[in-house]
Amino acid sequence: MSSLPRRIIKETQRLMQEPVPGINAIPDENNARYFHVIVTGPNDSPFEGGVFKLELFLPEDYPMSAPKVRFITKIYHPNIDRLGRICLDVLKDKWSPALQIRTILLSIQALLSAPNPDDPLANDVAELWKVNEAEAIRNAREWTQKYAVED
Amino acid sequence: MLKVIFTKRDVLLGAAGQLSRKCCRMGNCLKMSTSDDISLLRGSESMSVSGQDVNSEMFASDPGGGPIFQHESIQQVFYPTPSVSRPASTEDEQVNIKKAKRMGLIQHLPVGTYDGSAKKTQERECDICMVEFCVDEAVRYLPCMHIYHLHCIDDWLMRSLTCPRCLEPVDAALLTSYETT
Repeated sequence: MSSLPRRIIKETQRLMQEPVPGINAIPDENNARYFHVIVTGPNDSPFEGGVFKLELFLPEDYPMSAPKVRFITKIYHPNIDRLGRICLDVLKDKWSPALQIRTILLSIQALLSAPNPDDPLANDVAELWKVNEAEAIRNAREWTQKYAVED
Repeated sequence: MLKVIFTKRDVLLGAAGQLSRKCCRMGNCLKMSTSDDISLLRGSESMSVSGQDVNSEMFASDPGGGPIFQHESIQQVFYPTPSVSRPASTEDEQVNIKKAKRMGLIQHLPVGTYDGSAKKTQERECDICMVEFCVDEAVRYLPCMHIYHLHCIDDWLMRSLTCPRCLEPVDAALLTSYETT
């Protein structure tokens, strides 16, 4: 295992010093490249009130390649599949080394506010989102209450 | 006071050196001998660093045969001349040729030295490694005038010919003239 690049140390420090509202990322105590992430559902979205757990991993060649991010908490969203995988351009072909953990998590938070059923990952969810948005939003609210709200 | 500044700078330079060694393990870095590193720095010293001048000087033809040409001769190891008939090429060879072409292309982007004039914090450090630039450190200028450490940006340009910060494609004219030959 090679030593941790300066960039990862700096990013981690800055995440701790200047946290982003609604986003919490803490490195695993045994692996500084693995982060336990919590994103709160944005206001005025069907995910409002939810607390979503994610995992984020910085690959060996980070920042030359994008972090790997996945939802652990179940979520009803057209761009997030059953396994929690996220369809987001900045995690794939639009990745640039000028992006950071912070900006990626902000993009994911924005994706919760603006689902994009025309570029689906969860096909059944996207289909319903297109033909009956009201029902889809109702489902998303239900799932949020069921899986993302702590009792 | 001066002494303190120099000490700090030495520390930073040391850190940059460590990074460049790490960087080479990624496999995409330009393998350059130490002497070439020095020649590249010397060549860039004559260039004006601030503003548009760097671009125009770089793209102007260089009758003296500057450091650029030395690099091309090194790359010939991977890069057979068009007149040479190659044996049936394996996939590896194709990849090597692609890499060598890309390396040659990247070498045509201007190199300068950081003059320490950046005011905003965001411009004082390299967006890729997040380490602050040191005065007189070698940086590469992209056509959009964003700057990065030489080894950081070259590693990225081997993967994507775009500016990491503004996503501006690296000069299209430059691309077509070298990738078609």
